[in-house]
Amino acid sequence: MIVVEAVSKTYGRFGRKTRALDGVSLEVRRGETLGLIGPNGAGKTTLLSCLLGFLRPESGSITVDGRAPDDLSVRARTGYLPERLGFDRDSTGAAFLAHHWRLSGGDPDRAKEETRAAAERAGLAPEALRKKLRTYSRGMLQRAGVAQAMIANPDLLFLDEPASGTDPLGVAIVRDRILEAKGRGATIVLNSHQLAEVEKVCDRVVFIDRGRLTRTEALRGEAATRRKATIRVPAGRAAAAVAALSASGIEAAASSDSDVRLASGEEEGLSRAVKALVLADIPVFQARSDADLEGLFLEKDDK
Amino acid sequence: MREMVRRFLRQKFGNLGVVLALVAIALLAMIFFPSQESGGPAGLAVLVLAAGSISKDASSGALQMILARPIRRSEYLFGRYLGILSAYAVFLLFTLLLVVTLPRLFSLLFDQPGPHPPLTSLLRAAGAAWLSGTLVAATLLFFSTFLPGFGDVLAFILVQFSFGIGGALGGRFPAVAKAATIARENLMPDVAWSQVFRGEGLLGEATGRFVLALTVFLIAATLVFSRREFSYGQD
Repeated sequence: MIVVEAVSKTYGRFGRKTRALDGVSLEVRRGETLGLIGPNGAGKTTLLSCLLGFLRPESGSITVDGRAPDDLSVRARTGYLPERLGFDRDSTGAAFLAHHWRLSGGDPDRAKEETRAAAERAGLAPEALRKKLRTYSRGMLQRAGVAQAMIANPDLLFLDEPASGTDPLGVAIVRDRILEAKGRGATIVLNSHQLAEVEKVCDRVVFIDRGRLTRTEALRGEAATRRKATIRVPAGRAAAAVAALSASGIEAAASSDSDVRLASGEEEGLSRAVKALVLADIPVFQARSDADLEGLFLEKDDK
Repeated sequence: MREMVRRFLRQKFGNLGVVLALVAIALLAMIFFPSQESGGPAGLAVLVLAAGSISKDASSGALQMILARPIRRSEYLFGRYLGILSAYAVFLLFTLLLVVTLPRLFSLLFDQPGPHPPLTSLLRAAGAAWLSGTLVAATLLFFSTFLPGFGDVLAFILVQFSFGIGGALGGRFPAVAKAATIARENLMPDVAWSQVFRGEGLLGEATGRFVLALTVFLIAATLVFSRREFSYGQD
């Protein structure tokens, strides 16, 4: 379990100080995937840097399973993907990944096979491993970074914008790797602006603004908070669907000519709405109830 | 630490610009071998090899990726240091190879006798250059723990320059000149390595100052680096 207690961090000196973190407290349970959400400059990367022991808070404390974040036994279980990937550009992909495999304490004799397997899982072709990193595209570098972070199957993962710069296939690969790590019980802290991806993988999100933790929202389980329910109908039938739902006493609005958004995001309400549409002879292509992260992100009020 | 040395060598010798610079310095340095104790221009190779050895990793984010692994900061630091010294040893051996082979090649091509210094004196000169390089590398490493980019090289040149200026002001400001001399003798002491290799002055004052300065720079680098914070990017 990661425990953050009243952590504050200030940058700068001699009167030009910026408070990057202001009394942040939170817990990340073992096996939980936590998303950090907030605008640029909110303090998310600073918090990640503190969690990794790169920065030392002025006040408060951080422990990972009761140990300091820079304890070597914690580091032996850690995988980290920074937002800005600092590679040895003259290294080949294979040399880079093998280097991190050995640094993570992996058996040097198995470096080659582990490197190949990690690259494959991250969507890097074997021939790409023979090329120097300076020849990689932005998306390939990101995949190499993901492979690096996941190479020794760490059970603590700190991911800073893991799908940044990748194509849709890359985004899906990153998501699958996170879900795979989650499946084997890894504790994951994810910093991402891609709210749709955060919704898909995180159990809980915390909102950070101007260095303060402003809100915590559960996205899974019974404690899940605000949700949005949407139904997709054939193109041009959204208005008819809204009318049919209204006739059944369900409040809804068309968000496009084929999408209807229900006023309530509850799954029970969604089920009733689908039934009402079927009875009204309006085909339902898709019905889903998701956490309304975007709506929460855009809300300014602190809760 | 071996992994850090390996990475350093791969970084330096995998970079064409660095390799070309080292070859150019080797060609220049072979003229002075074995006449100069410190290897003459060979010392420039230490600057090329050690420049930005930590600061560039820190600014690129590579250092953070490495420090997230289960290695001590001191392992990284001394891995870089040993990497510089290993690369410098490779460079000196390459220079020796040029010194030995090129004159013979010219002799064969132009049928003229060339200089053929004895191998032992060449090895001693290379050993002296390497030993002098250990202190230069430690100084640069220390500066690189807290100065960005190539600030370590600039700081090193500034220190050398201030020693020189201080000495030149001797006529008008004897106190400044004395301070500069004391600083130079203690921070960058000259050791007559050829005498040391003959067994003279091994435990002498200059050697003692050299070892002390080396120790001080390495300890200072370790202390600064172990306390340093690393961050990057925007939130």
